[in-house]
Amino acid sequence: MIRKPISRPSSTVLGILSILCLLAAYHLLSELQHRKNPEDTTIPNWGQLYAGVRQTMEANPRSGERWLLVDVKATGSRLFLGLFLGMTGAILAGLLMGCFGAFEAFLLPPLSLLAKVPPTAALAVFFVLVGTNLKMFVAMVAFGILPTLAQTVYLSVREVRIEFLYKASTLGASQVELIWEVIVKTVLPQLIDAVRLQIGPAMVYLIAAEMVVGDVGFGYRIRLQSRLLNMSVVYPYLTVLAAFGFGMDFILASLQRFMCPWYERHSR
Amino acid sequence: MRQDLLLECKSIHHTFGNHHVLYDVNLEILRGEIVALVGPSGCGKSTLLNAIVGTLHPNKGSVLLYGDQGAKRVEGPGRDRGIVYQHYTLFPFLNAQENVAMGLMLDQTSLAFRLFRWPRWRRMRRDHLCQARELLERFKLGHATRLYPHQMSGGMRQRVAVAQTLIMKPDVLLLDEPFGALDEATREELQRTLLTLYAENCKAKAEGGTPPYTILIVTHELNEALYVGDRVVGLSQYWDWKGAGLKTSPGATIVYDQVAPVYQPEEDRNFDLLLEQRNKIREAAFDPNFLQDRYLFKKFWEQVEQGRGGGILS
Repeated sequence: MIRKPISRPSSTVLGILSILCLLAAYHLLSELQHRKNPEDTTIPNWGQLYAGVRQTMEANPRSGERWLLVDVKATGSRLFLGLFLGMTGAILAGLLMGCFGAFEAFLLPPLSLLAKVPPTAALAVFFVLVGTNLKMFVAMVAFGILPTLAQTVYLSVREVRIEFLYKASTLGASQVELIWEVIVKTVLPQLIDAVRLQIGPAMVYLIAAEMVVGDVGFGYRIRLQSRLLNMSVVYPYLTVLAAFGFGMDFILASLQRFMCPWYERHSR
Repeated sequence: MRQDLLLECKSIHHTFGNHHVLYDVNLEILRGEIVALVGPSGCGKSTLLNAIVGTLHPNKGSVLLYGDQGAKRVEGPGRDRGIVYQHYTLFPFLNAQENVAMGLMLDQTSLAFRLFRWPRWRRMRRDHLCQARELLERFKLGHATRLYPHQMSGGMRQRVAVAQTLIMKPDVLLLDEPFGALDEATREELQRTLLTLYAENCKAKAEGGTPPYTILIVTHELNEALYVGDRVVGLSQYWDWKGAGLKTSPGATIVYDQVAPVYQPEEDRNFDLLLEQRNKIREAAFDPNFLQDRYLFKKFWEQVEQGRGGGILS
């Protein structure tokens, strides 16, 4: 039946089943590939994958580095710093555009234009403007997410019913209080949703930049190991990336439930 | 000028582009009255209400509020005028108790105070929530203090909205079709709530005090207007503007202003008794084929002088 809800246990079982199907399909593919070529590294078997994971976690004999550790550190710091700056700028710009006509007129046209430029295509611009160090990756993530996120925040602010503002004014709210006590609190759940949606693109921009100009980080390592067809390292890295994205999303969803308990049922 | 005059709309004119909405609207409201404003859809009732709230600046004319310090011109929204809309009155992110306490918070503290004098603010907050709970209990909503707006029925929401406004003790309470989306039973219950407030006005006046609640209710329901109001005002674009020497329709103006029967909260609603006055209002304000002189049915002040008003008008 269309839209008929299913029980929670059924939903959990189906979820687990889908993951098991994925693993089984991988196992089958790997087996088939290894029957053709026992030395194959493109679809590594479980033993090869285990060796690949150990390789990423143990100190490298030549450099002495633990790949996973240095890459997590490099990519994580770039991503968090970029996300923080991009989010701060976007929320500020979105709020100002949504609240004040002058800011809307001034900021919306350039942001609408910039939102259409894929940051990966503009990599050379970032490279020229800020070099190839940490600043470039941070700028890439921050400016990559800022235009779209700012527009999302702006649209959410515009959707706040004017009656709420009138009402709060008759209750004695100042202009600052209208923004903080009414607008921000009303759009907070949409704001968290918008940030959740931007984590994926932010990771895409960063990994792409690391693949092109990085000397450390997830993108760099994946590119390097892919060229060597060393997929027993690439797949664990992809798994870590997926787990990171999933973890961030889970944290933000939990934050939304905690900070906006009214939202989940209100929005249904 | 009457001592108990509270609000005055002085010759309000308003247009939206080329569309004339309000023409020479003059309305004086006395302290303690419940004035029901009726009129056809799109005649400008909400525009007039917005002018009183201060969210709309009329092209011409002014709204004056009278208090201890004399007349004050309305320039923008203020805490002396509370408003309840049909929808979007309660903040979705606050529960009933917090919604009612919102006004106390905004009125008595600043954002800086709440951020930097947090211990003191916590004490005040407790007091605000306590006041809100007491008011909700008076509105028979003691069980619903923790509910969010989406968890409440339409009737509960509107009662919370009225409490949210009344906790501020506004000079005038403005209701913009507040019961329009409610079922008949809930509507009647809320109408009786308004009559309870009116009964408190009458009691305060009888004891020589100041009636605490002055209400202007916009409604399209004539029975409701006659039932809850001690006065009914009809705003309409259907009047004889040609007879007044005008070439094009100048917009809506007040075409009906008369006292209405006063009901006690526990009294039975018998709308049959209101039939004659209801038909008269329908003719004066709602019938596009009946274009009369705009002063023909404006007899409120005459009636008050003749002692024909009930409740606080008597």
